Amino acid sequence: MSPKAGIRRAAGSFVAPGTLVALVAVIVILLAAAGAPILSDQSPLDQDLTAMNGGPTAEHLLGTDNLGRDVLVRLLWGARTTLVVGALGTALAFALGAGVGLMAIVAGRLTEMLWFAVIDLIRALPATLLGVLLIVALGSGTVPVIIALGLSFSPLVALVVRTAHAREVARDYVAAAASFGGGRLHVLVHHILPNLIGTLVTQGAIVLPRCIVTESVLSFLGLGSSPDEPTWGRMIADASRFIEQAPHAILAPVIALIVLTTALSVLGDQLRRRLDPTRAAAMPADLAEASPIATAWTAEGAES
Amino acid sequence: MSRWLPVLFALLAGLARAVGIVVVTWFLCRVMPGDVVDVLGLEGGLSEAQQADLRVSLGYDRPIVVQFFDWAQHALAGDFGRSVRFDRPVADMLASAAPVTIELALGSFVVGVALALGLAIAATSMKSRLLEAAVDGLNIWSIAVPTFCAGVLGIIVFSLWLGWLPVIGSLILPIIIIGLDNAGQIVKLVREDLAEAVMLPHVRTARAKGLSPWRIAVVHVLPVAAPIVLVLSGLVLSGLVAGTLTMEILFGLPGIGSLMLNAVHGRDLPVVLAAVTVVAVALVAINTLVDALHRLIDPRVNR
Amino acid sequence: MSTSTDLPDMPVRAAVSRHAPPGEDAAGSDPFACPILEVRDLTIRAGTRELVRDVTFSIGAGRTLALIGQSGSGKSMTAAAIMGLLPPGVSLSAGAGIQLDGRRLPIHDDRAMRAFRGSALAMVFQDPMSCLNPFMTVGAQIDEALWRRGMADAARRRERTLDLMQAVELPSPEVLRRRLPHELSGGQQQRIMLAMGLAAEPRLLIADEPTSALDASVQAEILTLLERLQSKFRMAILFITHDLAAARRLGHEIMVMRHGRVVDFGAPATIFSTPRHEHTRALISVRRMLEQPPPPRARAGETVVDVQGINFDYPPRRFLDRPFPALSEVSFSLTAGRSLGVIGESGSGKSTLAAIIAGLKRPVAGDVRLFGTSMAGHDFAMPRALRRRVQIVFQNPHGALNPRHTIATAMREPLDLLRIGTRRDRLDRVVETLNRVGLDADFLARYPHALSGGQRQRVAIGRALLSEPDLLVCDEVVSALDATVGAEILHLLRRLQMERGFALVFVGHDLEVVRWIADEIAVMADGRLVEQGPADRILSAPGSAAARSLVQACLKPVRC
Repeated sequence: MSPKAGIRRAAGSFVAPGTLVALVAVIVILLAAAGAPILSDQSPLDQDLTAMNGGPTAEHLLGTDNLGRDVLVRLLWGARTTLVVGALGTALAFALGAGVGLMAIVAGRLTEMLWFAVIDLIRALPATLLGVLLIVALGSGTVPVIIALGLSFSPLVALVVRTAHAREVARDYVAAAASFGGGRLHVLVHHILPNLIGTLVTQGAIVLPRCIVTESVLSFLGLGSSPDEPTWGRMIADASRFIEQAPHAILAPVIALIVLTTALSVLGDQLRRRLDPTRAAAMPADLAEASPIATAWTAEGAES
Repeated sequence: MSRWLPVLFALLAGLARAVGIVVVTWFLCRVMPGDVVDVLGLEGGLSEAQQADLRVSLGYDRPIVVQFFDWAQHALAGDFGRSVRFDRPVADMLASAAPVTIELALGSFVVGVALALGLAIAATSMKSRLLEAAVDGLNIWSIAVPTFCAGVLGIIVFSLWLGWLPVIGSLILPIIIIGLDNAGQIVKLVREDLAEAVMLPHVRTARAKGLSPWRIAVVHVLPVAAPIVLVLSGLVLSGLVAGTLTMEILFGLPGIGSLMLNAVHGRDLPVVLAAVTVVAVALVAINTLVDALHRLIDPRVNR
Repeated sequence: MSTSTDLPDMPVRAAVSRHAPPGEDAAGSDPFACPILEVRDLTIRAGTRELVRDVTFSIGAGRTLALIGQSGSGKSMTAAAIMGLLPPGVSLSAGAGIQLDGRRLPIHDDRAMRAFRGSALAMVFQDPMSCLNPFMTVGAQIDEALWRRGMADAARRRERTLDLMQAVELPSPEVLRRRLPHELSGGQQQRIMLAMGLAAEPRLLIADEPTSALDASVQAEILTLLERLQSKFRMAILFITHDLAAARRLGHEIMVMRHGRVVDFGAPATIFSTPRHEHTRALISVRRMLEQPPPPRARAGETVVDVQGINFDYPPRRFLDRPFPALSEVSFSLTAGRSLGVIGESGSGKSTLAAIIAGLKRPVAGDVRLFGTSMAGHDFAMPRALRRRVQIVFQNPHGALNPRHTIATAMREPLDLLRIGTRRDRLDRVVETLNRVGLDADFLARYPHALSGGQRQRVAIGRALLSEPDLLVCDEVVSALDATVGAEILHLLRRLQMERGFALVFVGHDLEVVRWIADEIAVMADGRLVEQGPADRILSAPGSAAARSLVQACLKPVRC
């Protein structure tokens, strides 16, 4: 075995525990969010007026914030909002980008052009700006945030889906299916969707953490859900004014958010590696000899 | 002519997009539940009749389309009306807020693109595992650590623990934080594009010519990557909005972001409208220019 | 490694040729003199896989070694090794030695090899379009090669650039010099590549499939040009090709590679008269087969397809562009049981025509009558009853099968869609058809990537035949395959046609292949059908300029 292969193997075994840690982190956060009502004996709004901006104690494991609310309890309840809003935003982005996008493409050139003109317009507005606008228009609350997230990230999904669709439609097996009398729906269901699933899952893994981050940004800016509902972003915003007195109150949600997004993106990266057809796999073996480069790709693909 | 036609189309498309954005923005802002008069009415205890008078004086009683064209006409001349809360011309408020935001955006853009390009080129030419890890690390950092979290960490570490920098009003820390984020967003893409460009047949031709690696990189590889770098720079600029907005709030910088946010909370409609419009149109303009430039420098796009 | 039991695969020491009689054309030089290039025990590995094993050969001054091999034979790797351009992850064995003019090349040291590239060594590649820098004018790219060679004076470089462009027979060099690569034709691009190679004043020019990406008539021109350039500049040439005819035409010696080994070597006459290895024999028998097409079949039976004055435009790429006409006023007809070959260069509209006949594209004007039914009358939506009778097979066997479907799923698709047979007997039909195309039931559960190109093309043909069509359209079905595999597919098609009696529209760009399968030939050029007639007549007395240039390009001096 060459030393290079040894390094590669070592790197491979290094990746696996990383993925495992990420998986465990995501599961723990999910369980904590689901079990928030059981795990906490108080409401996230309960104030302990004897301990304001207090450090960690046996009673308040992660301390209290400026209003004497338990940081750990708020963290648990905040996870619920953050996760649910992020997931629903992602779902909406997929419904608009992939669902409506594919329907518009399959329906015909005109609907495709119209829908993608809309997508183009949405794309011109950054997510945060669109969020500000929608919350101005619809008032603050959870629903406008979800709509803002769904709208902002739908272009990302829609464009990837359109590219993947165009790539698949140009394949000869689609033409062959048409020559057997297969209609657009048959081609979509039997040929295009199965080949799109990998792309869609990968894209989901990219969009979900970004939705979660954007939700936090919006609630940090005070544009998210109502003040009664604890979210990580709002906790950071509230605690940022008392950063010197109570750094623990701000560190807790910041670290929680970083752990969640890091774990999600590590998992997403692993998914991408597994699902996305790589260049090496897409390269027809017979072409491999045609250029040394092609051979290099296939050779590397075979090794890894 | 054939070379400029696509550029012209790109510019026209950008113009259409800008108009679309302005129209959408304006009408979205106008469906806002509870206008400024309601807020002032609650705060200042205005009577129904006073509120109605105020609405007339603000022109809110006219048909909405008329209001839009009236607003657009003035806006084109640089007149965004007066702030309802501060009774100052909105244009003045924007003008005094803009330098901070521009400094923040431009600074972090330069830091980000320079860092990403430098790191990607170094990783491509040196084949070092350390640089490769730096590319990946920076990329993961930008995905996983939102800028405002990085900002909080920065304040705690540099200001509270080390006591290096004054927190409020400082531009250095926000510029570095957004710059790192920008770099992380594009560094991996630039690196992958360079790795692909190195494998292109014409680069093999250049090697077969016996050219030095340095000349191959500059003359034969970089031009291939230039359009991508250009497009990615546009991406970075769009991504700057979230970063500057949160950094301005966190570090108490009086930029357009702070202006916009305060106006949103205070239902100061003319200011919200103007701030959102200006930022959105500026972004569309930048992206349009990037697109046009891309078509101009890359002979392959228009084939 | 190799023992006496596998004699045919023993590496042939090509260097022994120095004691063999010289080739028929010695080009005025002495092959026994010190060779320009000597390659010894060249073994190339990618990881643990050996791409090239124990290759040894030499090339004398002013001589051409034609290196023949099919895909995967290691021929391009051999060339890359000589240039020091092996891709990452691919390495040379320590025992390998390459000498240029008696000096050992530092093949294990990339930096040191750079001194030889672009001076003593030059290389021309397969696809000139992608091998030229798209951002630089072609003049600047030749200029760069001269600068690399050490010509410091810009005015002299410009003069020399024009000289070189003249030497490669480019018209009006002063104008072309300022063009970007994509503004030139494929043939012109390859001439630029050659001029760039010549700028180095190389001792050895490696031409790696320099004509494979070009149209037939252009291929012949480039080969002639290579010959002329060699007699003028006197360098040694390593000419890599998969085309036996081209190898014979250019090579003073021919070397045959297969699976990374040299299996045959000799002067062209020797190779063709007494091939040593069965692979060489297979290659030659493909040539012989193509040179002796079977007699045409009688014109009989009803008209199967009648194309009447069809036009087709490609939609404009961008807003306000004009549509691009792909076909104009194309008419022909074909009777049952016969084959029509449609031939033309790339962009002539032949594949569009195939797609229209198969009902995959809709012409803007004209009519296609299939078995007497007007397609225009059906608004070009082919009724299911007709779909069964008209089937199409595509060029690229990799693309024609969905990578996520097993062969069984892929082959059931037409039966399900066309509602042929009962659900129960569909599988039996699939197995029977697989047998017919020379595959067995083991293939049912496999995925396309586990099949070779030839096997995949067999599956594609079998799938098209499942509905027992009366008209089969074949769009370049052998172009992506190696010659020996392609020949098998041609035989298969002919046998199936005999058994089933379908009419065949065979679209191709290689006149010899088309002539072999077709009774009649239609020649396409720029979207028009310029000539149609019996295959023999088209070959012996081409009436149109397009047909003449195809015939001339094809009549390569190969008489075995």
